[in-house]
Amino acid sequence: MTRRRVLLQTRIARHIAFAVVVSLVLSALVLVVFRHHAVRRNMERSALTYASLISETLTDLVGFLGSSGKGLLDQEVAQLRELNDDVERLEIVDVRGKVVLRAEGNNVILFGDGIESPMVADRELLRAISGLEATAAQVTEADGSDAYRVVAPVVRQWGEHVYSLVGTFTYANVDRQLRSSLWLSALILAIGLGLTHWVSVTLAGGITRDVDVLRAGVMRIQEGRLEERVSIDSRDEIEELADAFNLMADELVATIRQLREANRELETLDQTKADLVANVSHELKTPLTALRGYLELMAEGGLGSISEESIRAVMVCRKNVERLSLRVEELVQLSRLDRFTSLDSAREEIELNSILEGIIDTFRPRMEGDGVHFVLQVQPNLWALQANPEQIERVFLNLLDNAVKFTPKGGTVLVLAEACDHEQRQGVLVRIQDSGVGIPPTELVRIFDRFYQVDPSSRRRFGGMGLGLSLVRSIVEAHRGAVWAESEEGIGSTFFVWLPFGDFGQDGTSRGGPSVRLEEADGDRTAVREA
Amino acid sequence: MARVFVVDDEPDMVDLLATILKSDGFEVDTDTDGRSALARLLADPPDLVLLDLMMPDLDGMELLKLLRLDAKGANVPVLVVSARSGHQDQLGTLQLGANAYICKPFSPRELVRQVRQLLETSEAETNA
Repeated sequence: MTRRRVLLQTRIARHIAFAVVVSLVLSALVLVVFRHHAVRRNMERSALTYASLISETLTDLVGFLGSSGKGLLDQEVAQLRELNDDVERLEIVDVRGKVVLRAEGNNVILFGDGIESPMVADRELLRAISGLEATAAQVTEADGSDAYRVVAPVVRQWGEHVYSLVGTFTYANVDRQLRSSLWLSALILAIGLGLTHWVSVTLAGGITRDVDVLRAGVMRIQEGRLEERVSIDSRDEIEELADAFNLMADELVATIRQLREANRELETLDQTKADLVANVSHELKTPLTALRGYLELMAEGGLGSISEESIRAVMVCRKNVERLSLRVEELVQLSRLDRFTSLDSAREEIELNSILEGIIDTFRPRMEGDGVHFVLQVQPNLWALQANPEQIERVFLNLLDNAVKFTPKGGTVLVLAEACDHEQRQGVLVRIQDSGVGIPPTELVRIFDRFYQVDPSSRRRFGGMGLGLSLVRSIVEAHRGAVWAESEEGIGSTFFVWLPFGDFGQDGTSRGGPSVRLEEADGDRTAVREA
Repeated sequence: MARVFVVDDEPDMVDLLATILKSDGFEVDTDTDGRSALARLLADPPDLVLLDLMMPDLDGMELLKLLRLDAKGANVPVLVVSARSGHQDQLGTLQLGANAYICKPFSPRELVRQVRQLLETSEAETNA
C-alpha cells in the first residue's frame, strides 16, 4: 500500500486555515446572535416610549375631532405614525374593552356612529388595558409573524382612566437590517477565507523553506556527498536541527575515516595471519613429510629388513603421523574458512569419484592396519559438481577419518554415492556408514558444533579436537549442500552429505541447468597439467 | 636412467627425496640453495626437477619463473613440492609453468607415481 505524499507546507497551511476559519465563523455567529438580540430590544424600548408619549395626544385628538373632523384626524394620525417606522397598528380601547379607533396602514377607522365597535376578547389584553401601568409583550399575529404589543393607559389629572392605547409593532424592519448585516458578514467571511488561504500558504512556506533546505542536505549526504553541510539561520528548532545534522555528518565522516583505517589495519592483520598460517603449515608439514616418507620406506623394507617388533612400532608411528597430518590440515583449513566468507573464488568442476577414490587410497594402509573392511559403491556415471575440490576432499577425509576411528577391528566402513534430489534440487548424496560405537540421540544434534565431542574422554581415546565435523558442516553449507547424521548405539552411524549439481548462484538455485557429465572417467586424479 | 634434480632448503627433505628416488632406480642430483640450483639446472638440464616452493633468498616461484625464461630450462618438467595446499597456490604454480604439484605431507609411493607419470608424458612429447 502506498501512502499519498503530503507536503509539510500544505499541512501547516491547512492548520492555519482551519484556525482562522473557525475563529471567523465563531465571531460571525456571535455578532449575528448578539446583534439580533440588541436590535430587537432597542426597537421594543423605542416602541414603549413612543406609545407612552402619543397615547394622550391620540386620545385627545379622537375626543376633540371625533367623526366630524375625520379628514383632519386622518392627517394627524398619519403624522403621529411617521414618528415610528415599526408601528403596524394603533388602537384606542376603553377600559371595558371596546375599540374606539383603529389605525392600520393608511386606513383610520373611527368606531361608534354607525360602525359597531369590536370588543377585545383576550383576557390578558383586557387586564393590561384596565391597568394603570404601561405594559408590553411579544405576541404572535394572525399571519403567524412575531409582533410587539404595547398597552399605554391614558390617565388624566384626577386619576380618571377611560382609554388605553394599544400599539402593535412589527419586527420586519429590524429583521431586514439583520439580514443585510448577515449577508455582509458572509461576504467578509468569504473574502477572509481567500485571504486566509493566501496568508497560510505564505506563512507555511516560510516555515517549510528551511525544512526543504535541510532535506536537500540530507539527500546530498545520502548521495555520498559527505563534505556538504546545511546552512540555516532561522534561530529556532530547525536551525538547531540543522546544527545537529551538521554535527552528525561531521561524526559520520570521522567514523568512516576511522573505519577505513581500522579496515586497513584488519587487512594487514589478515595478511599477517595468512602468512602465519602458510608458514606454520610449512613448518609443520615439512617435518611430517620427512617422518612419513622414512616410516613408509622402513615399513616397506626399502631401507633393509628390520625385526617384526620394529615393523609394528613403525606402523604405530605411521598411523600417528597420519593423524597428525590430518589435524594440521584441519587447522589450516579452518583458519582459511574463517578468513574467506566467500568460497566462490576457488570453485571449479570436480569429479566426485576421483576425489573419493583418492581419499580411500590415503586411508587404505591405516584401515589395513586397523583390520577394518572397506566397501565403496559409486554410481557408475560420474557427476561434475561445481565445488572447491580441496574443501570437498577435506569433507570426506574428515568423515572417513571419523568412520575408521570409531569402527572396531573387523568392522566395516561403507561409502555409497548416488544421484539424489534434496528439497527439490538435483544433486549427489554420499553416505558414509560405519559399524562403530554409535552416537546417542541427544548428542546427534550437537556433533557438528565446533570443539564438540560426544564423550570428553574420547579425545584421549580417539584423538582429534572436535573441529572435524564443524569444518565439514561449514564447507558443505558454503556449497549450499546439507549434512546430517543418523545413528544407533552399538550398531553404527551413518553420515549423509548432499551436494547440489550445477552453478551455485547467490539465490542457491541452479543457473543454466545441472552440469551432469555422463562419460566414464579416465581415473586421473592428480593435478597434472600440460605446460 | 632418468636424472632427477631435487631443490629443497631442508637437508632432511632432500635426503628423503633422494633416498626414495634412488631406491626406485633414479639418478639424483640435489641442491639446498635456490641460486646455485638454478645455475646448475641451466648448465646441465636434468630430466625432471623436484622443486620446493618456500626457500630463503630465491624461492621456488622465482626459480621457476627464471628457469622458464631460459631456453635451456623452458621444457624441463617441474614437479612442485609444497606445504601450501591451497587450491589458488596450486593453480598459481601451474600457471607459472610447473607441470604438476604435490602437497606435503605426501607418501613416497605417490611421489614416485607422479615422477614416473611426468617423465612418461615428457618422453612422449619429445618423441612426437
